[in-house]
Amino acid sequence: MEMVKFIISLIFLVFGMFVFVSATLGVNRFDKALNRIHAAALGDTLGILFVVIGLLIWKGLTWASGKMLIIVLFFWLASPVCSHVLGLLELETNEEVQERKDLKEEHHENI
Amino acid sequence: MMWTDLYNNVLLFCMILLAFLTLIAIIRSVKGPRIADRIIAINMIGTMTIALICLLAIYLKEDYLLDVCLIYAMVSFLSVVVLARIFTGIYREKQMKKTQQAAEKDSPAASAVETPSEMVLETKSAHKAFANGEKGEQI
Repeated sequence: MEMVKFIISLIFLVFGMFVFVSATLGVNRFDKALNRIHAAALGDTLGILFVVIGLLIWKGLTWASGKMLIIVLFFWLASPVCSHVLGLLELETNEEVQERKDLKEEHHENI
Repeated sequence: MMWTDLYNNVLLFCMILLAFLTLIAIIRSVKGPRIADRIIAINMIGTMTIALICLLAIYLKEDYLLDVCLIYAMVSFLSVVVLARIFTGIYREKQMKKTQQAAEKDSPAASAVETPSEMVLETKSAHKAFANGEKGEQI
């Protein structure tokens, strides 16, 4: 039983770490801020979900695991808002992005 | 017992890896050419710190660290939103000053009353809403 829990939890943790590594690489290697938002949002949602699931499987169902689930839930609510706000900031302050007319019209409707 | 020790080693390895990734993200936050890049990198550092604190809570078997984690998540989210709004406001203020100066150069007499361009009017109203602290659609 211990062994099964260990192996499943290890798989989830390793996948979570892989997602975090790719998110960090993406933030460092992409060349525009709007692309970097995509890479960062990946780690925000998928990475923390898999790390927490791995820990949940090892720990079992306790109050602490409930708290961890609340953290993931909060992240799923907050991270898209962060990405949206950062995208609006980039759209507002970057002249290169504002050159694109199709983005601009929609932006003025939304803001 | 053997599996518990092994699992603790796995947790330790994960924490060390996350610390390295945080350092790599700091590089981007220093280098980032635009302000949005820096905020993105800081946001990601916050996320990885939260994952690290979760791992640490299991490693040390201290459940109260998860409360720290939750508060950290809320503060990180709030800081990102507030910083983004502040820098949008600063940018609009700069734009307004620039257009005002251009208008004064063109016609010193008429510039004080109103500026002809539609865009200037728009940024002006947006700036006014920002200065009054309105939480409306403008900002």
